Amino acid sequence: MSSFDSLMQGFAVALEPMTLLYGFIGCLVGTLVGVLPGIGPALTIALLLPLTFKVPATAIFVLFAGIYYGAMYGGSTTSILLNTPGESATIVTSLEGNKMARRGRAGPALATAAIGSFVAGTIGTIALTFFAPWVVDAALAFGPAEYFSLMLMALVTVSAVLGSSALRGLISLVAGLLFGLVGIDLQTGQPRFTFGQPEFLDGIEVTIVAVGLFAIGEALFLAWQGKENKKTDVLAVSGSLWLSKEDFARSWKAWIRGSLFGFPIGAMPAGGAELPTLLSYYTEKKLSKKPEEFGHGAIEGVAGPEAANNAAAAGVLMPLLTLGIPTSATAAIILSAFESYGIQVGPTLFTQQSSLVWTLIASLYIGNVILLVLNLPLVGLWVKLLKIPPQWLYAGIVVISVAGVYGSSNSVFDVGLLFFFGIIGFGMRRFDFPAAPLIIGLILGPMAEQSMRQALTISQGEWSTFFTRPISGTLMAISIALLLVPNILRLIRSRKHV
Amino acid sequence: MSTRLIASFLLVFCAVAIWQVFRIPESTIQSEVGPILAPSVLVALLSLLGVFYLFTTISNKAPDCTHQEEDRPLKGGSKRVLYMLGGGLAFILLAKVIGFLIPAALCGLGVSMAFDAKFNLKTLLMVFGIAGAFWILFSAILGVDLGPIVQIPF
Repeated sequence: MSSFDSLMQGFAVALEPMTLLYGFIGCLVGTLVGVLPGIGPALTIALLLPLTFKVPATAIFVLFAGIYYGAMYGGSTTSILLNTPGESATIVTSLEGNKMARRGRAGPALATAAIGSFVAGTIGTIALTFFAPWVVDAALAFGPAEYFSLMLMALVTVSAVLGSSALRGLISLVAGLLFGLVGIDLQTGQPRFTFGQPEFLDGIEVTIVAVGLFAIGEALFLAWQGKENKKTDVLAVSGSLWLSKEDFARSWKAWIRGSLFGFPIGAMPAGGAELPTLLSYYTEKKLSKKPEEFGHGAIEGVAGPEAANNAAAAGVLMPLLTLGIPTSATAAIILSAFESYGIQVGPTLFTQQSSLVWTLIASLYIGNVILLVLNLPLVGLWVKLLKIPPQWLYAGIVVISVAGVYGSSNSVFDVGLLFFFGIIGFGMRRFDFPAAPLIIGLILGPMAEQSMRQALTISQGEWSTFFTRPISGTLMAISIALLLVPNILRLIRSRKHV
Repeated sequence: MSTRLIASFLLVFCAVAIWQVFRIPESTIQSEVGPILAPSVLVALLSLLGVFYLFTTISNKAPDCTHQEEDRPLKGGSKRVLYMLGGGLAFILLAKVIGFLIPAALCGLGVSMAFDAKFNLKTLLMVFGIAGAFWILFSAILGVDLGPIVQIPF
């Protein structure tokens, strides 16, 4: 069956009233968490993981996809009106978007961000639809050795290449890998890192770590700083919420260029959304007919990066769905949702769970339309949400986090663990350790160990198998290069300076 | 709390992890790689990275957001953190004893006071409202087991 036929079948399921309702709720909740500072898609999806016991898989993944895309849309509102980017990917949007709002052009800034997000989301989803089956075909040739090398490459790139310091990224990653090994070893039945506590035998839940780091850690950090009550006011939505002819003419090329930066970079293991948004911003600045407006509120500076951000979000789903490799914290938590249903994510997902995958992809197209309709007309409502006093907002976030963790196991031990990871999250935020490698390590660690042991069993203990098999060897070489080349270049540059 | 203290915590964490690696029982099942290899390699790697981090703290290259003017906390930062952790502790100690509502409200109270809310009737009403609303959402609507809303301990 061709990708197009499968997609049409996906649309048939995604347009069923109940599935559509889950998609709508997801988009609404996603926009809400994107708008609110301190709560993002990773945390929201982690809190909703207990629902996997009650809700069918198709519905839950449509819901999660809506939250994921919705948060990308919602993030721009906070950046433009509050100059507070909810995540690193929307920092660039705030550079020009907030300046536009201060000049009385918040409406066009929000409009170009929303339409750009729609265009990029749709382009990204089209690319996912037609490129994913190619990647699946290639990945079907992978054995355990190739998988181990691929996971190693993803882990190295996420921790060492992204972020401000390879050392702190690697510490975060290795700590995550160690937390992932807590519990009974599935192959031999031996307990590891359990401290004799029966609560640790099943391992540490991803939900607890993610919610602890993102919700409790962030709330502790902001409370410690004590500046949330002193934040600047939310700017009013001024100007028309539609684009003038000139604004449209200046925006559409930036949307397309941003999408073309966003999707391929987002789909790479080391991609992320920061790099394409920055590339898009500087490209637009270079190509603009009015470069003097940059820094004072240039519309291209909002259109391009917002498109890049959303296309990268679609790109992140590519390695997740085709290879089972998460390259962001949100993707890692979606992966653990697949595990909750006992679904093996990877190339076989497209054959064994074809209906689920294509419904998910179809729901991304529908979600984009829902989000475009939701975002602009409801912008007044989103602005009101930004005015919730922080003491009630964070009390709500922490209580819902505690309720989510307590409700999934009915164990106060898990709540204690939640606050333990909250304190770790606070320390990581204060001392600039990235949190995403820890989450990705926690999830990929046991999978990577499993692949390594299978590969070594097949090769009868020959470690060279990871280097002598062509694909595995290439992936290993890329990992080593990614780890070493930036440091060597830095060393050469510093020597030149001397 | 300085970066050197954090580096020391990391090394203590590594020491505890090494102790735990030695406590992993040998497997009786024949396999190419046993349950000890991956933990040993990771703990060794983390210890090495921890030592490197300690060196960066000694040479003052490790960042701490208190070094930057715009990120520096206002006065009373530790007190605010303790309010929040106190709220969490109240939940842990009381949830099994007196049901969900009061411990969750105390947790919310700790958080709201950490964000400079005053201890008054309005704050109490708000935190009880938040705790009650989430019990209804999770327990009554979504069917997640949060235990009884209020429980008499005797």
